[in-house]
Amino acid sequence: MMPEGPSGAEARRLVSQPSWNPLKCAGTDLPKNLAIMVKTLAIAALVVNHVRILPDPWLPFVPFFDLFPPVLFQRTLQTLFLVSAIAIVFNRRLRLFSLIIGATMLVAVVSSKAYYGNNKTFCGLMFLLAGLYKPGAPSFFRWQLAITYFGAGLNKLLDPDWQNGIFFENWAVNRLHQSWYIALDSRLPSMLLARFMCWSTIATELGIVPFLFVRQLNAIAVFSNVLFQATLCLFTGTTFTLFFYSMTACSLALVTWPEQPAPVFYDASRKLSHVARRFFKRWDLDKTFQWAPLEAKPASGSFLYVFAGRKVYSGFRAVQMLFLLNPITYFLLTAAIAAVESTPADVGALLRRIIVGGSLVLLTPPLAWVLDRFSGQGSLTSRSFPNALRERLTG
Amino acid sequence: MRIIIPVLLFAFQLGAIVYARFVPTRYFCWAPFDTQTDYAAMAIVNGRPLTAAEFRQRYRRPRHGFDNRSPQHVIDMLRQVEEKRARLGEKASVVMEYRVNGKDPKIWRWPPSSKTETQKEN
Repeated sequence: MMPEGPSGAEARRLVSQPSWNPLKCAGTDLPKNLAIMVKTLAIAALVVNHVRILPDPWLPFVPFFDLFPPVLFQRTLQTLFLVSAIAIVFNRRLRLFSLIIGATMLVAVVSSKAYYGNNKTFCGLMFLLAGLYKPGAPSFFRWQLAITYFGAGLNKLLDPDWQNGIFFENWAVNRLHQSWYIALDSRLPSMLLARFMCWSTIATELGIVPFLFVRQLNAIAVFSNVLFQATLCLFTGTTFTLFFYSMTACSLALVTWPEQPAPVFYDASRKLSHVARRFFKRWDLDKTFQWAPLEAKPASGSFLYVFAGRKVYSGFRAVQMLFLLNPITYFLLTAAIAAVESTPADVGALLRRIIVGGSLVLLTPPLAWVLDRFSGQGSLTSRSFPNALRERLTG
Repeated sequence: MRIIIPVLLFAFQLGAIVYARFVPTRYFCWAPFDTQTDYAAMAIVNGRPLTAAEFRQRYRRPRHGFDNRSPQHVIDMLRQVEEKRARLGEKASVVMEYRVNGKDPKIWRWPPSSKTETQKEN
């Protein structure tokens, strides 16, 4: 039986030109993971209407900006920002427009102390570094994330209010009125929970830095980054303007995306396989996957196998990978979280927690592990899979 | 350029992280949400107290509020506005009471009434 979906060469031909369809990512002048990253950030910036807060020069860090007429300066920034963000969403000259929107945001940051913020700086840097992308150059995203976590961790480590927990106690109790924290805190020795939260934050931030530079530990760094930012969002109910989007999207720059269509094998005798195949093929706009029925059933007896790079995923973990390797997942999640900005604060915080918490549950390994275990699918390693099938489709 | 610009940006950030160890401000050194400052300020310009709306327009921040960075960032904004406006002939006085991470309140005044701008209240 022939595999369904395009062959490697055919898939490359189909995606050689960037599409105007905002849900597609292939064929642009950026690698796919970076294309998804900048598009995710552009979607977030557009949906939260970030353009409205771009400033005129006001107490600039560089006095030169005071020379510009305020209204002209602000309108110019807003126009460049809006045009670039829309161009990125519609796959037009991603590198150029990433460079423009990144530079626009960084100019805005240094031109106004009222606008200045770590979140805007980091988001601007993500765009700028994507715009400066050069194949074969060092991974500047890795360095940027490492410097950010190092700076954040070091500042906390040397701050007495972080060392003794005072920061967290005040933040959680007096600012956030965090009910579960207050309840738990009242049952523990004074400041124990606050100290634990402060030191675990410091350890996480500083701990991620070396992990980013050891290839074998890179996946842990990426996972820790996403988990840490998601936990912050769950705890506070906020995205810290663009910080949550930028920090999590940065993880996309650190992962390796399949260059060729990823083979997906399904058990044609199982109804669940056909349901999954129909659903995912409909949303696979970039032709990321190449579906084929299993000819020889491996011992683990799973209904689905996904080959991504050098790894093989089976069962519900494979289903998770079909979501994680589809850009639409990131676009929808980002748009949903960003759309919440327009709701009242309490409702918004609740909705953000539901979306972020739900995504964590659905897209991280524990749920798939439980489902696979209870459905009797078992786990699979690449060694236990018939090599002949893989070679026939990937070779 | 595609290599030099990122390298220069990283060097700048590392420099800012080191510089932050010697000053109370935390600009460009990645210290987001590391300090909670709650403050209440009052300003009198040319003998007339500013309303909440006038205060926000002049300093681009509310009269009472929070800042999630070093209190020096708030002080910088108030001080720099007054330094600029003083050159235009305006006479203003500002008093801001603020607390860092919920600890004892401090007072900041403009124009500075003593050698140090920040005084600890008894």
